[in-house]
Formats: sequence, structure tokens, C-alpha cells
Amino acid sequence: MSEKILSRNFERPDAYTLAAYRATGGYQAWDKAQGMEPAAITEEVKKSNLRGLGGAGFPTGMKWSFIPKDHAGPVYLVVNADEGEPGTFKDRYILERDPHALIEGMLIAARAVRCALGFVYIRGEYVTPWRVFSGAVREAYDAGLLGQGFDVVVHRGAGAYICGEETGLISSLEGKKGWPKVKPPFPAIKGAFGMPTIVNNVETLACVPHIVNRGAAWFAGLGTKTQGGTRMYSVSGRVNRPGVYEAPVSVTLRQLIYDHAGGVSATGRLKAVVPGGSSAPILTADEIDVTMDVDGLRNAGSMIGSAGVVVFDESVSVPDALAVVARFYAHESCGQCTPCRESTGWIEKQVKRIAEGKGRKDDLDTILDVASRGAGTTICAFYDGAVGPYISYIKKFRAEFEALIPK
Amino acid sequence: MTRATVARTPVTTPIAFSAEQLAEVRRLQSLYPNPRGALLPVLHMAQDTFGYVSLEVEEYVAGLFSLSPAHVHEVVTFYTMYFQQPKGRHVVSVCHNLSCHLAGAGTLVDHLKQRLGIDVGETTEDGRITLLTVECLCACEAAPMMQVDDRYELNLTPEKIDRILEGLQ
Amino acid sequence: MPKLTINGKDVEVPPGTNLIEAARLAGFAIPHYCYHPGLSIAGQCRLCMVDIEKTPRPTIACNTLAADGMVVNTETDRVKETRRSIMEFHLINHPLDCPVCDQAGECWLQIYYMRHGLYDPRMTDEKVHKPKAVPLGPHVMLDAERCILCSRCVRFCDEITRTGEIGIFNRGDHSEIGLFPGTDLANRYSGNVVDICPVGALTDRDFRFQVRVWYLDTAKSVCPNCARGCNIDVHVNHRRPHHNEGRRVARLKPRFNAQVNKWWLCDEGRYGFRFVDDPDRLSLPAGKNGGPPAATTWDDTIRSLAETLEGARPDEIGVIASPRMSNEDLFALRRLTERLGVTHVGFRVPPAKPADDDDLLLRADRNPNTQGAELVGVGADAKPILDAARAGRVRVLWVFHHDLFASAWHEVEVRQALERVPTVIWSGTNANRTSELAHWVLPSAAWVEREGTFTNFQGRVQRFRRAIEPLGDARPDWDVIGRVLAALGAEVKATRAEHWFQELASTVSAFAGMTYRTIGDSGQIVAAAQEAATR
Repeated sequence: MSEKILSRNFERPDAYTLAAYRATGGYQAWDKAQGMEPAAITEEVKKSNLRGLGGAGFPTGMKWSFIPKDHAGPVYLVVNADEGEPGTFKDRYILERDPHALIEGMLIAARAVRCALGFVYIRGEYVTPWRVFSGAVREAYDAGLLGQGFDVVVHRGAGAYICGEETGLISSLEGKKGWPKVKPPFPAIKGAFGMPTIVNNVETLACVPHIVNRGAAWFAGLGTKTQGGTRMYSVSGRVNRPGVYEAPVSVTLRQLIYDHAGGVSATGRLKAVVPGGSSAPILTADEIDVTMDVDGLRNAGSMIGSAGVVVFDESVSVPDALAVVARFYAHESCGQCTPCRESTGWIEKQVKRIAEGKGRKDDLDTILDVASRGAGTTICAFYDGAVGPYISYIKKFRAEFEALIPK
Repeated sequence: MTRATVARTPVTTPIAFSAEQLAEVRRLQSLYPNPRGALLPVLHMAQDTFGYVSLEVEEYVAGLFSLSPAHVHEVVTFYTMYFQQPKGRHVVSVCHNLSCHLAGAGTLVDHLKQRLGIDVGETTEDGRITLLTVECLCACEAAPMMQVDDRYELNLTPEKIDRILEGLQ
Repeated sequence: MPKLTINGKDVEVPPGTNLIEAARLAGFAIPHYCYHPGLSIAGQCRLCMVDIEKTPRPTIACNTLAADGMVVNTETDRVKETRRSIMEFHLINHPLDCPVCDQAGECWLQIYYMRHGLYDPRMTDEKVHKPKAVPLGPHVMLDAERCILCSRCVRFCDEITRTGEIGIFNRGDHSEIGLFPGTDLANRYSGNVVDICPVGALTDRDFRFQVRVWYLDTAKSVCPNCARGCNIDVHVNHRRPHHNEGRRVARLKPRFNAQVNKWWLCDEGRYGFRFVDDPDRLSLPAGKNGGPPAATTWDDTIRSLAETLEGARPDEIGVIASPRMSNEDLFALRRLTERLGVTHVGFRVPPAKPADDDDLLLRADRNPNTQGAELVGVGADAKPILDAARAGRVRVLWVFHHDLFASAWHEVEVRQALERVPTVIWSGTNANRTSELAHWVLPSAAWVEREGTFTNFQGRVQRFRRAIEPLGDARPDWDVIGRVLAALGAEVKATRAEHWFQELASTVSAFAGMTYRTIGDSGQIVAAAQEAATR
């Protein structure tokens, strides 16, 4: 196993405390960063090849550099702790077990983008993570780490997957429905409360202190040519040891399933894998020799997303699984734009009928056609995330669906 | 299955925060560049205080934010965590998304329905428990799981559920 | 000014113009639902997709600003395919109830389906059901199933009236527009949400089911309900006289004028036309010769009026003109008073209850032509005339349109005045308490029954056109006055309102150089106001 970086403190029962964090080298990066020019911090993060670990995989340093240099008013840093992608649970570990890693990452990011106020948007259901993280913030204030030019507001959501989309999150933070915003303008130009805003995922920011401490070259060297570092893979479903596993982004899906998560459970025979949270197109058992970085999964016709790996063994019914997934997207569609609002519900009805043995001859082709027509037509990526499973489940396991449709 | 009626706590006091709570509302509002940012947190507070977010509560909160009540209603109906009807003293929310589904969440929901004598979305007649199914709560490594009020209950079995239910008064 | 190419055509547009407007300027219509030029960009309906060179896939035109060198194509195969798909998405849960929908004929789902849809429906599952026929306040009816959630009505109430009554509740395909339970959509501009609703979700409670829209005819006009003079279209029902409860005017719709009312119209103005077809409309001239009023002919009436006026000394004649009269009427009246040497001329009668104004359209002055009355010159305050009449110093009193009993003047004083004047002439459209006491009652054509101009509070002279024929023997005031003038021996060449306007323009400097042609559809500012504006 490789070196644990992000999860190095997870086993310590007191890992959430400032003392424990400091004892393991915490806040040294912040000390160092305070001696660096903001632009130099951004440059270092750019060179590290850190890419967003929330889902979109956008290069983090580049995102920071989009904040207008000539902007006179406030800039906000918003942490996306609205973890909600089915099959993903890694940010919960950081919030509960290493909250100061996020606070330190925020401090450094805030310096890089000249920001004085940060918000941490934690999903409403995460009550314990919210309490633990809020405690860490209080400790950081007491220790003079926060409140000296950078303040943090911990904000609770109220139950809506779409608030994980960065502009949906901003709308929600502003006290509105979590409707994603039409782009342009992008958040870096006009984000939260109308000001330039950086939205970063929890884990992404938790990487930043390590980059500052140990250098961009070191971090970049941990991963692939286009993505640096390790990341935390959430592995669940039909595996023997479900859990969070930190590995370099060059790890393969096969290694994650068999080496880290102890192999396939139930029948023991692998059928399919969702590699990056439920929005990632499904992979078949013979497609698992892919590296688990942004480009590795993209080249395999799927996506790394939030790195939530859900394993199906041979006994899992793919149509039944798609019915669950389709229900999820219909339930979580925010309702703002038409293709997504109207067709997630329709497709849910069709998939449900098929799974219940009441499918019709044309259903599968209709779903494929409707989904591919809707893809790319919406305000945000939510619908494309629904289309991923709709199309891949049916295309790759069509015979299984057809077998359920009465002749 | 017997259909339980919704337990309703008679509302005798008018909808109003205490002076301390109003100070907290102002403090929350001051944390955001626009006070409206505090709407979700204040609605959480209101739900904790008044039991659920009735139309009267929506109107009251709208007044605290100088918003039209329609805009507060939009927010309350958009998010899943605001109850628009009275809820039980405890809320049991079973995750039925992918990993939990693969781990048998459906069987657990059936077990709970049978043990509580209610359907999903209903509250036991004694007002003790409201049963819900919810989408992914992001504890898939411990599937099947559910949320009981603020707590995550992990790696569930029917037996474990029975023990948890016994602890809910 | 960005120069771009749309469908191969070069076009230069003002900075900040989006591609829907840029295409419009180039002569191309991009279909859209949620976009409205008077509201913020929502980008929700996804219908306005266009192809922009060097972009990987179609882009919404509403949220894309025209940029220099941009090459836009609104009709590529993939744009057309995308539109077809978006139309299908819009109609997945739509009830397809056109035969019983009042929007039929002016529904953009119908129009765009025919232009851009034409797919074979394949949604066979149960549709999502939502509330139907829900009254939203006094004027608007909601059918949530027909709603495509474009949010125009929500944005209207948020951004234009700032009243925020409408919200979109729930989420996903259960999203629906509505009011906070127990409240009404009762702001002063509620009818506008019906105009901007592109589908049959919001219909007008006053108009719905009265007449199918394809039977309507339209005339450009100006609202007579306040001093703003919002530009309107008058929709009239000639073709199915048995519909609309026999009423000829079916509805008023705002007509865009950037300088006056933009896209909007207040409810007071929108629903203020019912008097035109009311049973109390006057349709025949009538005179009392010591008995009950008897219908007579215009010829007899004119002759008698001329004799009566000639038989009185100029200082025994009182004329109370009205700021509801057109510029043409007022100018004809000025000619008459000048010829007779009448000095008791006024037009200001204070309303019983002063109206209020707001920061959107409504003006406290609920008359359409106060500015015109001032500029044309028909006196000012009418109170001295009332006092003279009460003192028995008036032998002939001609009152135009006012119901003096509905004014702030004391009822007893009004009655005293009217009873002391031997000959009271009253011109107007509908009978009222003043007309009841008059010896001569002259039916005026309502503004929708004739041509004319009003001068609004900004000094903008605006035309209104004839939408329907005058009821019975009702005549425009200028015509009646002109005929009296002729009977008095004056040379009257004017046979149309336009002729009177020409005379006005050549006489009163504020109107100098104006013609009906230069006024056009959007009005023209009078000289004084123009000078003030450029100073």
C-alpha cells in the first residue's frame, strides 16, 4: 500500500482535535503559505496537477486563477461539503476525522485568491459531521488561526442533491431553492451574493496543505501525467470490505476492488462496476483495468466523478438497479429546466415498468433516444449525470432488460 | 395494515421565537453578505422550535427576512428536510439508494412498516415515529443504513432495527 | 457596436444585445419561451438553441451576448433536431387539451409544435397531475398542468411589481407555480402575467371562454384610464356577435412602447373598457322640451343647439370641457368658444376621491388628456363656472363627459347649479346623474369607436384608432362641435379627426409640425416637452 496522506490521521480517535492535527504536522503549510505571494500559491497548486475531487475534475489552480485580478470588492471561498453522490462518503470522513485539514486548506486557498470570508456548505443530513467540523472551527478561532483576516461560516443545507452542483449550492447558500445558475457568468466572475467565488470540494482543499508542505512536484509525481496526488475512493456494494481507501490516482479499478476492498462478495463473481458515483456510466467486469484518474475513466467512456465505486456481483439485476438510480434522478431533479424536469420522471416510469415486468417493446429505444436528445441541453451537469446510467446500463446489459419485457 | 393518523400536537402558543432566538436570527443574518443567506439555518431553527414548518411558520419566517411568503414556501417545498406536516417525536429515514438497495434496504423498509404498522411517509398513531425513505445519505460503506433523528445507524439488520426502535420513546 | 453574422447575414447590434434580439434585428425569429425582453434571463426553457461557430454544441441564444465576429446559425440540422427534442420535453406532461383551452390560437406550444415539433408523441405513461382551474386573485386563472414553468410570471412579480406573490413550489416534474396558500394575486398589474404566459396556464378570468381568439380583430390604441396613455391593442369581436355576451370589445392588451409603458398595462386600464358596451350607453341625441327627454335627430339637435347658443350672451354661456376629450375635440371646442366669445371655459373638475399613482405606470391623474387640454387651451379650473351657474349668471351650460355628482364638488351645489341653468347640454358616452338633469343629451362615440390623439403626462401625443363603429347615433365630439360651428356660420372644412389635428398643429405651437403620420404608432413629444427634455 502506498503512503497515506489525506487519511493519515483517520485511525486516531482524537484526530478531529487541533492538538492531534498539530502533532501530525498540521498548520505548518499555513505557516509557510503566509510567507508566499498569493500568486505563488496558485502557481504551486497549478503545477501540482490537483484536480477537483468533487466530481467535475477541473484543475484547481486554474479555477483559482479565474478570479479577476482587478476586482475591488469581496471574494468568497465556498467549500462544497454537500456530499450526496450515491456511492460516495469520503468527505464525511474528512469532516469528522480530520476537519483541520479542511480549515488549513481553506486558509491557504483564501490567501491565494485574496478572500476574507469562507463558507462551508454541509449537507443538512450530516449532523454529526456538522457538529464536529463546527467544533474544529471554534478551536481554530480560539487558536487565532481564523478571525485574523479570514472568517469561516459553517452553513447547513436542508436536503437536496442538486446543491452539490456548484451554482445550485450558491443559490442555496443565498437562501433560495438550489436552482443552478445559468452560465455565464461563472462563479469566479459572479458567484455567491454576486461576488467572485471559488467553490472547492472538501477533499480538494484538504490536499492543498500537503502540496504547500511538500511541493507541487512531489504531489504531481504521486499521480498520472494529467492529475496529481492520491485521492480517497469510496468503495461499496457487493465487496467484502466496503470503505474509504486512499490510493494514488493511478490505481486501477481492479486493484481497488480486489486489493483494497477485499474482492467481490455474494456470488463472488463481478458483473459490473459504477466507478465514480451513480452518475458515472457503468463498466462491465472486463472493463476494470482502467486507472482511476480523470482521464483514465474518460478514456474508458465513463467518469471518475466523486470516485464512489459501487460494485455489482453476478446476482444483481441491472434493470432493478437502474430503477433505483432512475428514481433518484427523478426525485432530485430541481425542476428548473425542461429536458431534465420532464424526462427524468418519464424515464423513471418506463424503467420501473420494465423492472416490474410491464415493459413495452419500444421502451428501451425510447429511453435511449430521449436521454441522448436531452444530454447536453440543460443548465447544469445533473441531467448528463442521469443520462450516464440510463444509456450505459441499457446498452451494456440490454439482453437483461429485454428479457424482462413481455414479448 | 392499519393506517395511522398523523399525530398533531395542539398548537396553543402563537408562532414566535423567544428574545434569545431572535437575537440568534439576527446573528445568523449578519454572517451573510445578504441576510437572506440565513434562511435555511433559520428554517431549521424554526422546525426545531415549532415542530414542523407550518404555513404560519413560513409566514413568520418570511416576516423576519422581509421576504414574500411565496418565496419562503418555495424554499420549504424544495428541500426534503423541512416537514410541512406534524411529524413524530422521532424520524426514521431509511436510505434506499443504490448501495443500501443492494444491501437489502427494501427488506428493512418492509420490516419497519410491519413493526410500526404504518406506511412510508406516515406517523405512528401515538406520534412516536415517522417513517421515511430517503436518497443516499453517503454512508454506503455501512449499508444498509438509516438516519434516526440526528444519528446515523449503520450496518442494519432486522434485529438491530428492533433494538433501535425499543430505544425510541 | 458588435458586428456578427446570423444565417449568413451581416448585422450590427448595440452592445449588450443577446442573440435572440440580434437575430430579430437581422430578421430571424428564434423560438423561445422563458426569455422575455422585459425580464431577467432565466435560461430554463432551453428552446432558443442556436449554433455558434467554434462551439461544440448548440447554445441558448437568450444568455449569449452578440460579440464581434460571431458567426451564428439558427437553422442547422442539429439546431432543428434540438428544438424538436425540446418541444417533446415541453409536452411530455402537458395535458394536450387544446379543444377546451382558452389559449388555443395564441398558444406558443401550438405554434412552435407546428413550426418546430411535428414529432410523433410517444409518452404513453400516466402524466403528472397538478391543480387545474385555480383562481389566482380577481383576474387570473391557473391551470398548473398546462404550465411549462418558464417562470415569466414569477419574474414579473419579483422584478416588475416587486410583490413576489408567485413561486415555483416542489421540485422535479412535480414543480408547479402557485401562490402562498390563502393569498391572492391582486397586485395592480396582475393581468400582465396572462399576457406573458406563453401557454394556457394563466388565462384571463374576464376574457376566458368569451370568444375564440381567431375571431378577434385588433386596432392600435391608447389606454384612456390615466395620464400615462399606455399603448394598447383593442381586441374586438365582430365576427361572432353572439359570443362574448354580445359585447363588441373583448379585451385590451398592452402594446409595446419603450418610452411609455414598455410591455405592461395596469389592471385598472386593462379592465376599464366595459363601459363601451354597457346598457347605459347613450346612442341617440335627446332633448327635453319641458317634458321627458325625447330622442331626436342630429340635424334637429344641431339646429336647436346653435339657436340656443346664439340666443345667449357670451358671458351667459359656460363650457366645462373634459380631459377625457381628445386633442381634436378640444381644439374644435376652442374654435367654438372663441367664435362665441365664451369666457366661462374650464376643464378641471376635481375627482371625489383623489386617485394615487405608483412607481410603475399608474398616474394619479386618471384622465388621458389633461396635458392636451392645457396645451390646446380650454381654460383651467371649472369651479368658477359652477359658481356662476349657482349664481344664476349662466343660461347655457355645456358639460362634456363629467359626472359632476361624482366630483369633489358638493352635491348640493352641483344640483343648485344644474337646476338654475335654463339649458344644460351634456355630451358623453354613458348616462349618469349629470346627464339625467341635462336638457340635451348628446351621445359621444367612445374612444374605441373613433380616431383621435391624447397628449400624455410626458407631453407625448399618441394616436388611438377606430376599432368598432360608434354605437347607434353616437358621434365623436369634434364632429358634433364642428357641426354646431357650421350651423353658426363658421367655415368648417374638417370632416375627419385628422383634419382637426392639422388645424391644431398649425395653430398651437406645441403641436407644430406634427401630423398623424409623424406621430405614428409610438407617439411624438410636443415641442415644449421636447425642449425641456433636451435642455
